[in-house]
Amino acid sequence: MSAERRSPIPLTIVSASTPDDPQTAGDGADWSKLMARSQYGDREAYRTLLEGVTPYIRSLASRCFKQPTDVEDAVQDVLLTIHMVRHAYDPSRPFGPWLAAIANRRIIDRLRRDTRRKAREVALSAEHETFAELSANLHAETSDEVALAQAIERLPPDQRQTIRMLKLNEMSLKEAAAVSGRSIPALKVATYRAIKSLRRMLKQQSNSP
Amino acid sequence: MTEIPDLIDALVETATPVRRLRPPIVRAGLWLAFAATVLCLIAIAHGVRPDFSDRVRQPLFVLSMIGALATGILAAVASFQISLPDRSRLWTVLPLPPLALWVATIGYGCLTDWVSVDPDGVHMGEAVRCFATLLMTSVPLSIAILVMLRYAALLRPLEVSVTGGLAVAALTAFALSLFHDLDATVMILIWNLGAAALIAALGSLFGRSMLEWMASRFTTLPR
Repeated sequence: MSAERRSPIPLTIVSASTPDDPQTAGDGADWSKLMARSQYGDREAYRTLLEGVTPYIRSLASRCFKQPTDVEDAVQDVLLTIHMVRHAYDPSRPFGPWLAAIANRRIIDRLRRDTRRKAREVALSAEHETFAELSANLHAETSDEVALAQAIERLPPDQRQTIRMLKLNEMSLKEAAAVSGRSIPALKVATYRAIKSLRRMLKQQSNSP
Repeated sequence: MTEIPDLIDALVETATPVRRLRPPIVRAGLWLAFAATVLCLIAIAHGVRPDFSDRVRQPLFVLSMIGALATGILAAVASFQISLPDRSRLWTVLPLPPLALWVATIGYGCLTDWVSVDPDGVHMGEAVRCFATLLMTSVPLSIAILVMLRYAALLRPLEVSVTGGLAVAALTAFALSLFHDLDATVMILIWNLGAAALIAALGSLFGRSMLEWMASRFTTLPR
């Protein structure tokens, strides 16, 4: 009921008197015979029937679903249902209303499920993606980066050079020693002092807004 | 999901001959025959209530029994009819008139017997036996109707499970008043209407999922 009420697309319940009904189109009587033969296990008749009813089911489904994938899913659902309840068809009764009733039933069920899902789930908008996307949080990251770069600039020249080589360029102590011509213990001491003063500078910065 | 031509291929491949369902009225008759067998077996094992011959002379009791029995029979017919996709939904109103009669007579009995309520009128032993009868009647009948109507899970699960539940509930209440000597009004209300409401409510709550479960157990799908 709720899907019928809430659905923006008007639901068309097809009855036997609808102009494009298969019974009046002349296929109905044939479909009834084909179904009766299918019940005895005639596979060719069954294939002809399923292929024959598919466009009709698709036309019913396309009135209620906008997305082509939804329409195809609904058609498959109806075909599977026909297969599962084919023993419940009585060949003395017209096939059209039987088929239309099953198709409408399954389509309404799908619409209801969609409505329920939409009521429960919220589609993510751009703002929600802030938490997942890396680039979305750039603002905070860049401000930290800028502060760090400024602090490095204010370091004494030997400490600045050491930090650049060992931390920013990710050189090993040996490589840095070779490039700068300083001893490894001297580099270690310089790094220690540089990090200590960076920490102090950044702390001061965050304390003073 | 697979493409539609692939699905049709798969369905055609698994299209073995199927046995056509008998007309719904015949199937309802078969289920009612099963119900009658269950009730007969309980009657043989348990015997009817001791004051049965006295009670059948009371029109109210007879009306109530007829109401319950008719509700059970008509609800079963309605359930089998609407389980087929092309049958009218109006079949659901078929059991309503006898249901009204049945509920009205229970209510009337309740009012007239109000003064004679005796707290010790029904002792625990009878209540427990009564509950056993309730289970012995409703469980096999529920299983039978679930198996017979499993294909309705895809079509009209709610209507079929409510009418089916009503059929089971009414026949269970019929069995209870046939076999048990429960004259305290509160107990009548609880056992008759309460049991019926409980079974019908269970049917509407779990009927859908039970029908789907039955359908998945007993129906083969193409792989």
